[in-house]
Amino acid sequence: MAVQTISKRELTQRTAFSLLVLATAIVAIPVLFIIIYIAVNGAGAISWEFLTQPPSQAGKAGGIFPAIVGTFFLMLGALIFSLPVGVLAGIYLTEYARDNWLTRLINMAILNLAGVPSIVYGLFGLGLFVLAMKFGMSLLAASLTLACQALAITITTSREAIIAVPREYREGSLAVGATKWQTIRHVVLPHALPGIITGAILSMSRAAGETAPILVVGAAFILPGLPTSPFDQFMALPYHLYTAAAHVPGMPKTTIWGIALVLLVVVLSFNSLAVFIRVRIRQRRFGS
Amino acid sequence: MSLDHTLLSNRAVRSAEIQLKTEQVSLFYGTFQALRNISLDIREKAITAIIGPSGCGKSSFLRLFNRMNDLIIGARIDGKVVIDDINIYDRDIDVVELRKRVGMVFQKPNPFPMSVFENVAFGPRRHGRINRGELEGIVERSLRQAALWDEVKDKLGQSALALSGGQQQRLCIARVLAVEPEVILMDEPCSALDPIATLRIEDLMRSLSSDYTIVIVTHNMQQAARVSDMAAFLMMEKDRAGMLVEYGPTSQLFTNPKDKRTEDYITGRFG
Repeated sequence: MAVQTISKRELTQRTAFSLLVLATAIVAIPVLFIIIYIAVNGAGAISWEFLTQPPSQAGKAGGIFPAIVGTFFLMLGALIFSLPVGVLAGIYLTEYARDNWLTRLINMAILNLAGVPSIVYGLFGLGLFVLAMKFGMSLLAASLTLACQALAITITTSREAIIAVPREYREGSLAVGATKWQTIRHVVLPHALPGIITGAILSMSRAAGETAPILVVGAAFILPGLPTSPFDQFMALPYHLYTAAAHVPGMPKTTIWGIALVLLVVVLSFNSLAVFIRVRIRQRRFGS
Repeated sequence: MSLDHTLLSNRAVRSAEIQLKTEQVSLFYGTFQALRNISLDIREKAITAIIGPSGCGKSSFLRLFNRMNDLIIGARIDGKVVIDDINIYDRDIDVVELRKRVGMVFQKPNPFPMSVFENVAFGPRRHGRINRGELEGIVERSLRQAALWDEVKDKLGQSALALSGGQQQRLCIARVLAVEPEVILMDEPCSALDPIATLRIEDLMRSLSSDYTIVIVTHNMQQAARVSDMAAFLMMEKDRAGMLVEYGPTSQLFTNPKDKRTEDYITGRFG
């Protein structure tokens, strides 16, 4: 019967649709739960003093100001080292490198870099930056270590953003006698910029959350003040959180949740910034 | 014949000077031969239409003149493409200089995602230092030439992507005019446009042809008949390589084709 066939189709459609909703819920609910749980438990610790004072009594009192500042320094340092190299490498690999086995090998290596466990980057940084290059346990060594890790993401996102630039734009530029470099500089890069920036910011928020690599190249649990040079040791939120939660007996639970909340806010606000910048550039481009 | 004869252009070809020519050109993409032994003389300050069925190599042929095929990996040519007695495929040819002299307008309007002003200023800015006043002069002149000035003079700072399709295509023409080329190549410039926008582009082409040599690839036979002075009919051979079947004044090619295949094509028997 025709009517039956239609209702059967309808049923199939509804089942498929429900499964999709369910799958989305499975992804979304735990994330929301974690955020809300941390916010509820950590809110009590947040105060002006907590955000602006150095820690005292082994972190049980005082604030986490040096850890917040340290995390920002780390992100900044990693950005300064990884962004130019990442973007230039992305340009080279997409625009100039010949498509041969070596290029393909390099591309594969870069993709795999993103999957290397972060502690391995830490040990690499310890070996290269701390010991061999004699930067010591320092902000500089940690920034470079995180930059190496960020490079995999920056190069990959830059390449994808550059490849996504429509061929018509390149042709339009070349057809009025622009050189290849002018075309890249004035047409390809501006168009790829939102993608590149998004990738860079996302890699920064990843760097902000990393604990393992900085553990071995210079992060300290408690320091009396802020680092005064790139060769100083530093505090950072994830490492401070790890030590406070795992190694300080009698640490108030609220303080631990408070640190987690601040870290979460830093990371999420950077991710939101990435989305915001992308939307803004897109609007400006297509807006009238 | 299905074609409306009243549409035929009977314009006399004003100049018999040869601006561009191909000599026994063959084009290969890897092992595939896209064009075979094409020799064609293109007249100065005339509109030459390249017509033919899909896949016969019309666009590939057009792209020989500004070496746009260079962008395709594995593309290789035999024979010569000559401008002013110079083979543009010689080793010491500066492709950037060539593309300044031979501009191109594409099938899909491709304004850059920048302001109207910056789109037109793009070429001149790339070709050396230039002051704001000069640049404004060039932009206005080019937009006027492209019959777009009156429509956009109050929104030069706005995004070019906010313009209509027809305006975008005229903007792309203005962008080419701004670098003062001698030749303008047009690759199916109206295929993405509505009939009214198409007619405006055709009017524009006619007015431009007093100063520029125009080569247009078109699918639209009426368009070729309406705008062009000379027409070349390309067709595929059995191995899919494009070859020149017939070339002559448009009125002659459309009313009195010498080759049976041309006649079959323009009367709509295939293609």
